[in-house]
Amino acid sequence: MSQPAGIPYNTLVVAAAVAAVGFAAGVIGSFGVLRRRALVSDAAAHATLAGVVAAFLATGRRDLPTLLAGAFAAAVLALGGLVVIRRFTRTRDDAATAIVLGVSFGLGIALLAGISARGIPGAGGLEHFLLGHTAALTAGDATALAAAAALAVLIVWLGLKEATLVAFDPAFAAATGWPVALIDYALVTLMAAMVVVGLPAAGAVLVTALVVIPPVTARLWTERVATMVPLAGAIGLVAAVGGVATSNAVPRLPTGPTIVLVAAGVFSLSFFVAPRRGWFARRRAAVDAARALAERLRAAAAGEQTAPDPRGA
Amino acid sequence: MNLVPGSEGGFAALHAWAIATAAVVAAGCALVGTLLVVRRMSLLGDAISHAVLPGIVLAVLAGGRPGGFAVLGGAVVAAVVTVLLVQALRSEGGVAEDAGTGVVFTTLFAVGVVLASALARRIDLDPSCVLYGVLEFVPFDTVAVAGLEVPRAFLTGVVVLGLVGAGLAATWKDQVFAAFDAEAARAVGVPVAAVTTGLLAATALVTVASFEAVGAILVVAMLVVPAAAAELLVRRLAWMAVVAVVLGVAAACLGYMAAYRLDTSAAGMIAVVLGLEYAVAAIVAPEDGVLARGAARARLAWRVRCEDLLARLWRADEARAGPPAATGPGDWAAAAWLRVSGRIVRDGDRWGLTAPGRAEAETVVRSHRLWEAWLGRHVELPLDHLHPPAEWIEHHLGADVRRRIEAEVGGEESDPHGRAIPRERGRPNA
Repeated sequence: MSQPAGIPYNTLVVAAAVAAVGFAAGVIGSFGVLRRRALVSDAAAHATLAGVVAAFLATGRRDLPTLLAGAFAAAVLALGGLVVIRRFTRTRDDAATAIVLGVSFGLGIALLAGISARGIPGAGGLEHFLLGHTAALTAGDATALAAAAALAVLIVWLGLKEATLVAFDPAFAAATGWPVALIDYALVTLMAAMVVVGLPAAGAVLVTALVVIPPVTARLWTERVATMVPLAGAIGLVAAVGGVATSNAVPRLPTGPTIVLVAAGVFSLSFFVAPRRGWFARRRAAVDAARALAERLRAAAAGEQTAPDPRGA
Repeated sequence: MNLVPGSEGGFAALHAWAIATAAVVAAGCALVGTLLVVRRMSLLGDAISHAVLPGIVLAVLAGGRPGGFAVLGGAVVAAVVTVLLVQALRSEGGVAEDAGTGVVFTTLFAVGVVLASALARRIDLDPSCVLYGVLEFVPFDTVAVAGLEVPRAFLTGVVVLGLVGAGLAATWKDQVFAAFDAEAARAVGVPVAAVTTGLLAATALVTVASFEAVGAILVVAMLVVPAAAAELLVRRLAWMAVVAVVLGVAAACLGYMAAYRLDTSAAGMIAVVLGLEYAVAAIVAPEDGVLARGAARARLAWRVRCEDLLARLWRADEARAGPPAATGPGDWAAAAWLRVSGRIVRDGDRWGLTAPGRAEAETVVRSHRLWEAWLGRHVELPLDHLHPPAEWIEHHLGADVRRRIEAEVGGEESDPHGRAIPRERGRPNA
């Protein structure tokens, strides 16, 4: 690989990995957003912090695979908590999501603060999982993240038909004998996995944006899933790479917020200029419709006065 | 308050102020959270708590202090902007509400974090304060009130609690009406939109008041968890608000003390204690708790088993057959209980029904056969399909329903299998 002047190899590998993670997040987030699970993934994302810290406490290691394994376990536990609340109480889903999010994040904060108060050696850097920090990623970590992202995309590609069907018409899918609940769990678990893979880049607090904003943006541009999914991936890729580059350029700026801001920029632009669903297109369509109506009314009025009724004579 | 045995009074007073601040903001959050939870707006509370950050940062930049009154306005504006943006995304771009909420609050929070980082040297706003508050440092930033040094955050909390409490008390009827039937409320002239906006403004106010104590994210726990726990414990909305406030204040105190003992973040521990409170409520709640519902299910299963046993003995008598064989330990237990409660007797090597037992058995069999008769008349079912539904419903029909079914089937004397329907006890068949 020829190397651009001044950019170290490690930075390039990390950038490539972040691009892969952004793409995968957009792809998998598409199904989550279509299935209305955007905020469920947020609860899982906030829970990952406790998992990261608990993994460090349990093993004494702070290599990325260990910490992310803990994060994934915590995300799955959070989703399990949602299922338990739904099954055993009459608390409604929105409150259940907020409970899991708030309490699990509080636990993560308490664990993190407890560790730093005790000055446990090697704990430094865990707080980077709050808002994201790619500068410390090694090439090996980055490669592993990229591989995980690729695996997630592969799984979705293999289950594309099922995921699409369940996302759009769960009732029909159930009626025709698909294991809807199972596919739904698989989808939500995949969302949780994606949130975990995005964690080093975007942080627990904002990683949801990585799986939510690109699909919502892509949805503005197209009505077709086959177009929406890769487009969401592309937007996620642009946001992730753009965000990492920006935060690298500004000292002490965490990566997560910059990724979100790049994604939000693409979203805002799309919101106005997208064909058909964009604000300008809608305005133009409304004006055109009004004009066409006025034209027809005028023609009708003129016709009554001058031209004979074609059906008449 | 003697948190630190042997310490001087001033040190304990600092803890007391911190706990008082946490309790006051928790009370305000729980009050507002009650309405958010019953109106299914919990996640809007979450969104607002994230989204007020840029408003706070800009207000601090303009010279306000975190926890000071100047910042409250900025946060309320940010909250209203959040809600308007989510609505605009839905009406103008067709973006689903949950996805739109996800877009708006992550974006605004990111704006706030970037502003706070970029301006870190010019403003006094620690990024960790943004995320999880600095309750431990609250007592050091004081203002003099009537000669007493009072923490600024406590003062803000009290004022906000007063404002929000007075506002909710003044509009309580409308709030309740809008919460449970917005359509009807609108129809009779309740200004639902204004009521909702007021609730959102209240959410923003308590969020900002809590900001310095617990940060932007854990506010969602203080808003939603006490209210959700209270909803499991009591039925009436007013009581729900009271219980939520009690739970919130208790969690603030216990969480702070636990954090002190464990040497960790007070805000984090308050959220953890809230989670424990919710878990306990979900288990022990009098009607909706896991235990209560399990007990109700067990009671029903036991009653069904006893009634089935009585009915089997009655049918055996009717058919002049020997006593039915017990099928398992459950039956032996039921038989023991029925014997103790005087409904069956041991008669040599067989069981016999006593008068009360016979009456109860007849009621069950009567329900069963009436239902079969009704099904046979009104539903096209083969004869061998009538038994299972009747076997289930025989335990659930009251005397009134039985009379109405009897009238419906026209005083039929026997069920579709040709067996006599026992008469209602206490009154002869018409």
